[in-house]
Amino acid sequence: MSITDQVLAALLLYGLPVLFGVILICSMGIPFPASLMLVAAGSFVQQGEMNLWSVIAVASMGAVLGDHVAYGLARWGGRRLVGRLSRRIGVEENLKRAETFSRRWSGTGIFLSRWLVTALGPWVNLTSGIARYPWQRFVLWDVLGQVLWVVLYVTLGYVFSDRVQALVEILGNLTWVVVGLIVAVILGWNLLGYVRFDNLQAN
Amino acid sequence: MKNLGWRQWLVVLAFVLVVSFTGFFAVRTVRRATYWRSHRDEPIRPWMSIGYISHSYHVPPHVLTEALGLPPQPDRRPIRAIAREQNRPVSEVIAILQDAIAQARSIPLRPPPGTQGKTHDPTQGPSP
Repeated sequence: MSITDQVLAALLLYGLPVLFGVILICSMGIPFPASLMLVAAGSFVQQGEMNLWSVIAVASMGAVLGDHVAYGLARWGGRRLVGRLSRRIGVEENLKRAETFSRRWSGTGIFLSRWLVTALGPWVNLTSGIARYPWQRFVLWDVLGQVLWVVLYVTLGYVFSDRVQALVEILGNLTWVVVGLIVAVILGWNLLGYVRFDNLQAN
Repeated sequence: MKNLGWRQWLVVLAFVLVVSFTGFFAVRTVRRATYWRSHRDEPIRPWMSIGYISHSYHVPPHVLTEALGLPPQPDRRPIRAIAREQNRPVSEVIAILQDAIAQARSIPLRPPPGTQGKTHDPTQGPSP
């Protein structure tokens, strides 16, 4: 039986504690089918097996707590490690530049990686912690994004309650399309920069 | 573009790879979505409960509990737990359920036990 089957079977049998645990672990960066759990939970809510508000509250708390564990570890443990390494190889300037970049762009990154590009969530937690992104702002974007993620997926599960397996297959593919589009736009932007630079030199 | 260095060519290569990757998953998403639009039933998986299968396949739960020789009560357990209790492989339980569903759809349904005389429309979901 696949890990997905195991997790969904446990959700059916034990309910909210399993939902909380799996989403917590997944937010910390260990790959678990968390979006699938939310879709399934939405379906179980529709069938009267689970309570809507408890599902939303418990899942959101698990997600935010997991993000904070990862952010905290990166901020207090990872930062020291990266600082020592960058001094040793002499790239302290680069670290400072990365910090400035993170302060400017992390808000959007944190928010979007909570619900739209969830595959990047654990990485954004680590980079935000290492770059010492201000905690108050991290909480704000994290809570907003995670609650949106939970509500979105539970609603999908509720609406398509008799198609959990089918919906999960479609969403799994769609996530990679979104990730690919974002990376393609970033790379395309870089390429445009090269072309413009080339034209300027030619003139 | 003639002055591109090896780093720039790497970005071009990465761009082409990422666009192909995105295209592949976009096609898969559309294919899956169109497949599920034309197929009513999703495959029965070991995590599913009798309640979920009855909801997904739009057949009353008593049809499924009867087929497995279970009492007609709500049962939250996944079918792999039922299979373990009955000392059968999950695949056998899935086959029994598929047979029961096919039969229930092909013949007019009997009313669930304890509601003799009342008729039940299978498209209206679980009976009271």
